[in-house]
Amino acid sequence: MSKKRKIVSLVVWLALIVATLAGAILCGTGQRAETIQETMRDAVLHETNKVRLFGLLEVNPAVISSLVVVGILLAAALLIRIFFIPRFKRVPGRAQLLLEQLVGFFTDLGKGNSPHRYRFLNAYIFGVGVYIFFGTLFELLGLQVSTTHGNTIALPAPLSDINAAIAVGCFSYLVILIGGISANGLRGLGRTLKEFSLPISMSFRLFGALLSGLLVTELVYYYVGLSFVLPVVIAVLFTLLHALIQAYVLTMLTSVFYGEVTEAPRPKPKKSKKQLES
Amino acid sequence: MGIPLNIDWQQILLHIFNLIILVGGLYFLLYQPVKKFIEKREALYQEMDREASEKLKNAQELEKKAQELLDHADDEITERRIKAEAELNERDAAQLLSVEKEAKRIIAEAQKAAEEERRSILDHTDKEILIMTKKAAAQMVHTSTEEAYRQFLEAAERDEGHA
Repeated sequence: MSKKRKIVSLVVWLALIVATLAGAILCGTGQRAETIQETMRDAVLHETNKVRLFGLLEVNPAVISSLVVVGILLAAALLIRIFFIPRFKRVPGRAQLLLEQLVGFFTDLGKGNSPHRYRFLNAYIFGVGVYIFFGTLFELLGLQVSTTHGNTIALPAPLSDINAAIAVGCFSYLVILIGGISANGLRGLGRTLKEFSLPISMSFRLFGALLSGLLVTELVYYYVGLSFVLPVVIAVLFTLLHALIQAYVLTMLTSVFYGEVTEAPRPKPKKSKKQLES
Repeated sequence: MGIPLNIDWQQILLHIFNLIILVGGLYFLLYQPVKKFIEKREALYQEMDREASEKLKNAQELEKKAQELLDHADDEITERRIKAEAELNERDAAQLLSVEKEAKRIIAEAQKAAEEERRSILDHTDKEILIMTKKAAAQMVHTSTEEAYRQFLEAAERDEGHA
């Protein structure tokens, strides 16, 4: 690259920065439909902004997010199944390796934590892990929907809604319960019921983690100027990181508890006559 | 009294419904085929590994045998050398014996031939001597007869002269 071209590129880059910053400051925030308090409160409680689902029900935006995420994931899986998997090679390429690593990771996680019974568990943690990861990244797309009040809002991560978090937490508990009963019958049921706080802890952990990410993002983007102070890439990396962490935490916890309740009971050592006499 | 935090059972069920579809769909479309492929490849590699270990085992056995052969080779070489030397000596001795026999036979034949030759020469010489003697005797006889005849003639002539 010549020196002249370098200077021109630098000038254009700086001009773009100045222009966008000036634009952001001059345009101001305009007439906002909601205050920051209302936005944050709604992000937590979803009381105001509802979206109509196929004209039938009024639901939280997270339900729409969930439907979109599930649709995208299933469509991608179908395309991969039809066009990519039949062309798998014995020595994998990058994409194949990524897919194999993903499947291998969840298989090992399930097998490692629940060595007695893991087939159903693996299927579940693969699905839910992928859902949490891509569901969390979904908020980065910022797809817009109209609410019933006529506001336009960006679709949030599905799990930033407490209902979705409760759904995942309770469903994970249900999976553990099914595993316990099918492996050990009543003993498994007892073991699972003993961990009655599990669905609550899993749900609220997930909700809290995802909500914190959402609130930070809401806060940053409510004040446009902040996005210049805090580069967008940091928000993206933050989202990516907690998507990974939350997917790992929930799948690992589910595997650990599943392994505990499906473990075959150990036979009690028989007491000898001497021990009984003493 | 509403449920705190705006918890809505209908929406929870909707989320669970979504989740069930997703888990089932991903399992059948992605997880199972990829896992099957991985397992198939693993089985193939295990088979290859088994074959390779079998071949390695065979190779090790062959190497062991070769090593054993090599270990015994020196002994065998020495043994064979000794055997070869013994055979060679034996053959040499046999050859020597045969040569000696042949030499004796040749000498005997030569002596015999020489004896025959000598005898033949002697015979021949005897015959020649005899012939020569006869000739000499004949000559002598002839000479003496001729001398006598000549003397007779001379005597006769002389007698005639006298007469």
